[in-house]
Amino acid sequence: MECNEVIALSRQEHKPLQVNPIKHSQPMGAALAFCGIRNCLPLMHAAQGCASYTKVFFTRHFNEPIPLYSTSVTDITAVLDGGDYSILLSIENITQKNKFAPELIGLHTTGLTETKGDDIRGVGMHIEIPYCYVNTPDFEGGMESGWALTAKALIDQHTKPQSHVRPNKILLLPHVSMSPLEVEKLKALCESFGFETCALPDLSSSMDGFFGEQQGKLAQGGIGIDEIEVLGNCGTVISVGSSMRIAAEALLAKNPRISHLHFDHLMGLKMSDNFIGALMEKRQIAPSPSVKRWRGRLQDAMLDTHFMIGSSRFVITGEPDMCVGIAELLQSVGGTIAAVVSTVYSPVLEIIEAERVFVGDLEDAKTYFKDADLVISNFHAERILHSNGEYHAGLLLRGFPNYEELGNQLRSDQLYEGGTCFLFEVANKLREVKHHG
Amino acid sequence: MVNRAKIKELLNESACSHSKEKKPGEGCDKPKPGLAAGGCAFDGAQISLFPYADAVHLVHGPQTCLGASWETRETLSSYEGRDHTVMGFTTGIRTNDVIFGGDKRLEASIDFIMKEYAPEAIFVYSTCVTAMVGDDIDMTCKRGSEKHGVPVVPVHAPGFVGGKNLGSRLAGEAVLEHLIGTKEPEFTTPYDINLIGDYNVTGDMWQYLPLFEKIGIRVLSSLSGDGRVGSIRTAHRARLNVIVCAKSLITLCRKMKEQYGIPWISVSFYGKRDTAFAIREIVRALGDEKLIAKAEEVLTEEEEKLEARLKPYREMFAGKKAVLNTGGNKSWSIASGLQDLGIEVVATSIRKSTEDDIEKAKAYLGPNGVLMKAPAAEQAKVIDEKGADILLAGGRSLYTAIKKKISFIDVNQEKKVSYGGFEGLLNLAEDLKHAFNNPVFANVSEKAPWETVSMEAE
Ligand code: SF4
Repeated sequence: MECNEVIALSRQEHKPLQVNPIKHSQPMGAALAFCGIRNCLPLMHAAQGCASYTKVFFTRHFNEPIPLYSTSVTDITAVLDGGDYSILLSIENITQKNKFAPELIGLHTTGLTETKGDDIRGVGMHIEIPYCYVNTPDFEGGMESGWALTAKALIDQHTKPQSHVRPNKILLLPHVSMSPLEVEKLKALCESFGFETCALPDLSSSMDGFFGEQQGKLAQGGIGIDEIEVLGNCGTVISVGSSMRIAAEALLAKNPRISHLHFDHLMGLKMSDNFIGALMEKRQIAPSPSVKRWRGRLQDAMLDTHFMIGSSRFVITGEPDMCVGIAELLQSVGGTIAAVVSTVYSPVLEIIEAERVFVGDLEDAKTYFKDADLVISNFHAERILHSNGEYHAGLLLRGFPNYEELGNQLRSDQLYEGGTCFLFEVANKLREVKHHG
Repeated sequence: MVNRAKIKELLNESACSHSKEKKPGEGCDKPKPGLAAGGCAFDGAQISLFPYADAVHLVHGPQTCLGASWETRETLSSYEGRDHTVMGFTTGIRTNDVIFGGDKRLEASIDFIMKEYAPEAIFVYSTCVTAMVGDDIDMTCKRGSEKHGVPVVPVHAPGFVGGKNLGSRLAGEAVLEHLIGTKEPEFTTPYDINLIGDYNVTGDMWQYLPLFEKIGIRVLSSLSGDGRVGSIRTAHRARLNVIVCAKSLITLCRKMKEQYGIPWISVSFYGKRDTAFAIREIVRALGDEKLIAKAEEVLTEEEEKLEARLKPYREMFAGKKAVLNTGGNKSWSIASGLQDLGIEVVATSIRKSTEDDIEKAKAYLGPNGVLMKAPAAEQAKVIDEKGADILLAGGRSLYTAIKKKISFIDVNQEKKVSYGGFEGLLNLAEDLKHAFNNPVFANVSEKAPWETVSMEAE
């Protein structure tokens, strides 16, 4: 569709359907979040299809087996059961069949079971294994909010209230679009300042593509429920991404003495400076020589790439917390953001200074592909961009899903080092497009 | 609406080999809480119909159903118009639609699609939420159909009614009720067949269709690989229904026999033996002596040509042994292909296989072949005992292959090339050649320094 009317940023939809959607559902975000909890059994309260799709989706994206189960609601249980029957029986069946002992049952709903109105909280009384429930209907929100709601629920339901803090303990709350390696790098940076560091959820040791005997039956790696219970003594909680604020606030409610630092993203020089500066203030020590070195490299990369990027136009699609970081980094070296097309509405979209920012799908985004040099989008943009020779723009794959490229889980765009690599990657793509396209 | 009687009937379909030993009412698709694996009915329905490239497939439901499923299957199409199979359409219903009903949104979506994309037809899939809140999809489709003058077909296979098989059957019902018999073909021949249940994944159909053409078998319509809605509407004029490895669509064929007197046969096109057998079955069923003779002539010629091309591979693979760990019809079909290439298949998995699949696997592997019921636990031992050289399995078994220092092919990965028909065998042969020659499996299995270097301090 060639739509000439300009779509405004709004919570309201501008058409009755989505064509070539980029939005992903809340339950999918919740499922992924539970994959970052050690020995968790992620259980989707749904008919069998949602879990099956989700499993395939993330397996292909991460190239990693995904532990995910469903309560397999049927048309009969949908009508007769208030949730207890299928949830309890599922847990029994799954643990018996697999002969494993999960440390946590991570239960979350879908559109179907929300419509039914099941009491997923009440069921918890009958479950002996630690249990966390989240309401994630897929007719509301999106993947980013499903992930954030799960982090919040884990804290709400499992973190014990405390009145004292350990000043050197940090909790990181990464948004859903951060890769396992990005979480690991962030943790490592905090540790280099001498902080005892946790991340919630923590995909850095569960979805990082590690050769070993893979069971894929329970979440491997990740943060433990025992660690979540004592998060109340963190000196500092750091939320990355506007979606994660709710999780940080949940933790503050457990212990008002915790200090909260929030960053909309950690891409580019300015945000990285702010982050490092904050850590320095807390610890009153200087960063390691390698951090300083990387800052210099990023400065150099910004200068090296500014000519190429500064003369280029970009279209970005994806989850809001990812889009804002990419947009600001590119703008910091003079890139022109023709359009940001977001999966869902988020207040953070209001701060993006692009020519167009709105919630939409790839059919909408396509309108802006024509005079773009580089499109930053997911797997689905590939065919649209390259199928008919109509567009000259190149494509940089970011966000969900990325079915075909290998090694997504080990790519980092954050902080000084990640920003450096990102800028070079973008500039090299642009070179291909502009000089050989 | 989802019709309970219809679902019962489909679940009890006698022609389905899953339900043979089950008690009445206990068909093959009733999921146990927590243990249901695989896709839902909607998934099955979508798989069965999605390859119609000239139709738009509109998923009436919340985000998960389509958001995670579009553009995931390599069902190729030769359609020259806008190929809708690489696109995704969903009403993506919101809270308001759950409260007040989603009919208005659906109607507006149909109008939007007709205005912007003008497809030959629209399939509207109901899903768990829209079925649960009771949207009147039939009515909205009927109105859309009348308003726009193209078929707008409701497909009632919400996920919670069961698994993929049932969904595929429900898709067959929708096609039978709304499309088949609604249009006459431009011309007919005595050699017209419908292909049922091949979705042309990675171009599977294109591996054997050239043989059809040489022999003179005409595919009148397809459900639904490389299919067109325009031609499935004429399917009632075919002489024969050919089911390709899709037991779930037997119901449809049985009903077409009752309604239109079209006989059906069930075949597969994996490997050389099956392909030749399938073609002989088809021409025999069509019953024309000239056609039968022509088929023999073409088969002889093609088999000879294939033999010559397989010969170098056979020499290369002489003495090699394989263990196969994959599900369903792959447990014998890939075995058959491997054997055609001169590889001895020493074991295959029969986990999750139907009786038919097990029988076939048994016949193909012979008395010494091991049929593994719990392949994950058994395969390592079998590899040792039989001295296997390669493991063909899903990604999770890679670790076993590395530990045993043998080659590996991930047979469950989304394939990019077809292993079907005669031509597909050569693709399989190439993949095997690369796997056998690749040193990566041995290299990766080297020990780490901290496993070998002794340190005094410790
Ligand atoms: S189970 Fe229901 S909600 Fe889930 S994907 Fe299938 S149809 Fe959609």
